[in-house]
Amino acid sequence: MTPDRATQQLRKVPFFQFLDFAITGLDETHAVATMPFAERLVGNPIMEYYHGGIIASFMEAVAAICVSHGPDLQPPKPINLTVDYLRPAVKGPLMTEATVSRKGKRMASVRTTCWQDDTSRPVAEGVYHFLMV
Amino acid sequence: MTQPDQKKLDQIARMWSHRGRGLITEMDLKIEKVAIDGVLVRMPFNPSFCADEEKTLLHGGVLTALLDSVFGLANFVAIDGISSMATIDLRVDYLRPARSQADIMVRAECFRQTRHIAFDSGSVWFDESDQAEVARGTATFALTRGEVSIFDAMTQSRVSK
Repeated sequence: MTPDRATQQLRKVPFFQFLDFAITGLDETHAVATMPFAERLVGNPIMEYYHGGIIASFMEAVAAICVSHGPDLQPPKPINLTVDYLRPAVKGPLMTEATVSRKGKRMASVRTTCWQDDTSRPVAEGVYHFLMV
Repeated sequence: MTQPDQKKLDQIARMWSHRGRGLITEMDLKIEKVAIDGVLVRMPFNPSFCADEEKTLLHGGVLTALLDSVFGLANFVAIDGISSMATIDLRVDYLRPARSQADIMVRAECFRQTRHIAFDSGSVWFDESDQAEVARGTATFALTRGEVSIFDAMTQSRVSK
């Protein structure tokens, strides 16, 4: 599936419309996405930082797309997640790359990294587990 | 500082609600209980947080965001003189599908604080008869303590406006 087609499909999910991200790269084991900054995504009352929960949600969304994309695939069921917050995510676009660590018949494990200007300075990293059945 | 009284706690909770912006405002959170040993918060059903077109299933990410927010409030209430806090890590287990249009309830507590670190845990369920737990999370926070607490800074900035 092309990134544009995947982005179009995302529009069906209300919460993904709320996040308003677009898929920019997609293959069998990777997905990359970009999300523009918006006031509704802010978490800190004083500084314009992204909400930590929004970063976790964005990475979860990209991780799910990474393990299951296609016209008639059921979305995978999220089991749990761990997020390591490394730096504040400031005003500006946010990027996430998700990589499948292992995908079996029942389970998938996906690693994610989220950055802004510099891929070598991630704002957060995550590990997500999904049930595929 | 001496043990803060309930009036101070309620004041902190009101300030947190009024000064909230961004996602906190979108979630339309209602604080139901504030105490040193934990807080209870209600989030009304919001169709834009759903994972399906029929709008019957909340996206898991919303529960994660909710836990992170309410941990912030629990810290704010339980810890004296925080000038800033940052989430270090967050772990969430999704215990069952969040399939309901009922209000969501979150209970969170700061169960251990040191000078630099706060440890929190929390639980999420729908406000319906079985109250089955939908998600459970834990998080750690890095604290910066200073002369001016967030609470004081907010009070002062509000007065100056």
